[in-house]
Amino acid sequence: MTEAYAPAPVDVERLRAEVKLKYREVASDPTKGFHFHTGRPLARMLDYPMDVVDALPDRVVESFAGVNNPFSMGELQAGQVVVDIGSGAGFDSILAVQMVGRSGKVIGVDMTPEMREKSRSNAAQLGMDNVEFRDGLAEDLPVADSSVDVVISNGVINLCPDKLRVYREIYRVLKPGGKIQIADVVVQKPLPDDAVADIDLWTG
Amino acid sequence: MKEAGFAEVRIGCMVDVFSGSAHESDAKDFDTRGIVFSAVKPGGR
Repeated sequence: MTEAYAPAPVDVERLRAEVKLKYREVASDPTKGFHFHTGRPLARMLDYPMDVVDALPDRVVESFAGVNNPFSMGELQAGQVVVDIGSGAGFDSILAVQMVGRSGKVIGVDMTPEMREKSRSNAAQLGMDNVEFRDGLAEDLPVADSSVDVVISNGVINLCPDKLRVYREIYRVLKPGGKIQIADVVVQKPLPDDAVADIDLWTG
Repeated sequence: MKEAGFAEVRIGCMVDVFSGSAHESDAKDFDTRGIVFSAVKPGGR
């Protein structure tokens, strides 16, 4: 018998506020030292193609804070429409633009203003005009129904208490036959109830 | 994901991604790993 699904019992608004604070720091001071790695050393650890990464300016890579490599589940194809949930400073979105080419399009969605500002500036620095970064939540994507070929995300959905709602929202925006390629975190030990409700542990 | 309607779920590699970070202790306590997976919205082929 499987257990009935229930969203994690946390104060969602407080959690979002704390996450925004944390990722504002990652945008503005990426080498400060967090509970996660950042930048080029992290990209190397996650087997990103370093010839591609090393060709990018520091500012594009320094705030990267993913947890695995979504592109390891398959290369994107030319012409595809891609959504990057929790696009941060735009590292994965910019790699996605390079894969889908001029005929494709990438939409990054992030709720942290400082990250959106940095990602827009990074894309502009690279002369990319087929990527845009929108304000939004994983649970309520600012994207039309059945309009997307691939949804990527990296280290973000773990920060959403209602994961089923997020996956239903991703399902809504994908075309039939569309694909998700998601990197996220798992815990391999049972979490006590007080840990699940502890926002400090969610944000590190 | 299956409850949301997805099919063809595939799981990729798992990485000890927090090891050695500045504040890795909580991640270590719960044996936290970075994973990657894919799935498909049925139809359309």
